[in-house]
Amino acid sequence: MAGGGGGDSGEPEFQIAPMIDVLLVLLIFFMSITSAEVLKVDKNIVLPVSPNAKKRDPEFSKHEMAINVRWNAKESKAYVNVDDRKFPDLALAVTYFQEKKKNDPQIRAVIRGDKSLPAIEIQRVMNIIGEGGIADLSFAASNK
Amino acid sequence: MKRSRKKPTAEVNLGFQIAPMIDVVFVIMLYFMVMAGAVQVENAHNTKLPGTVQVESSDTPMPDEIAIRIEDDGQVYLNDDPLDTAEAKLLNELASNLNQLRESSDASRSEVLVTIYANEQAKYERVIDVLDALTIAKITNVTFQAGAPE
Repeated sequence: MAGGGGGDSGEPEFQIAPMIDVLLVLLIFFMSITSAEVLKVDKNIVLPVSPNAKKRDPEFSKHEMAINVRWNAKESKAYVNVDDRKFPDLALAVTYFQEKKKNDPQIRAVIRGDKSLPAIEIQRVMNIIGEGGIADLSFAASNK
Repeated sequence: MKRSRKKPTAEVNLGFQIAPMIDVVFVIMLYFMVMAGAVQVENAHNTKLPGTVQVESSDTPMPDEIAIRIEDDGQVYLNDDPLDTAEAKLLNELASNLNQLRESSDASRSEVLVTIYANEQAKYERVIDVLDALTIAKITNVTFQAGAPE
């Protein structure tokens, strides 16, 4: 096998090793962006679309607390999960929020609400967040 | 001189096969390329809850208050004026009106304070549409209120 892509015959030879290198780099790139984004989306919640919403600051991600509000249309009931903890009674979440605020004064509540939620359910959640002493609030929305 | 005679090569060549590996890598890469196109990025509208914002100085000018009402059917009212249709996803009329109000407030060196009054059964999606229009108009001072405006 001739090096440098040319043999004695003058015809360039197909180099397999650099091609594999490029392929693997591309593969790792697409794997990383896919997995990084998919993990953030809760499949049970259909986020409302907002093309002009701001991108979340990665520096603040450690201060973020996800509040998932899922709407069950059959039961006409909202289910609230905070950091994967279920709160059937929203009043119980107040002490949890107060503790979180005490541990991290910069904490930001990210409301991930289903797009079919009635506004009153979001307002209830906001009231509880306010009672918990958390002022910074974000409404999560999908880009498409 | 004894000639070393080679045995007939009945052994299977177990060497590394590059062609199937490239096939597999191609298929995996195509999968991730397609998945990357369908990825949903999660963005956010940031705000602060009313009553918790600390006042920095005592001589803060009084803000120009704007009320946006969202009805159950999705119709949006800006200070009691209906704008856009209830079905329209993009609230262009609302965004342009808000932008004008913001520009006039900037000219008079006052701030715009928008209060969103969403009816109980109004869809949360519509609230986000209104927040989207506020982002287009570059208005960040937003509060929420339950029930109808006084």
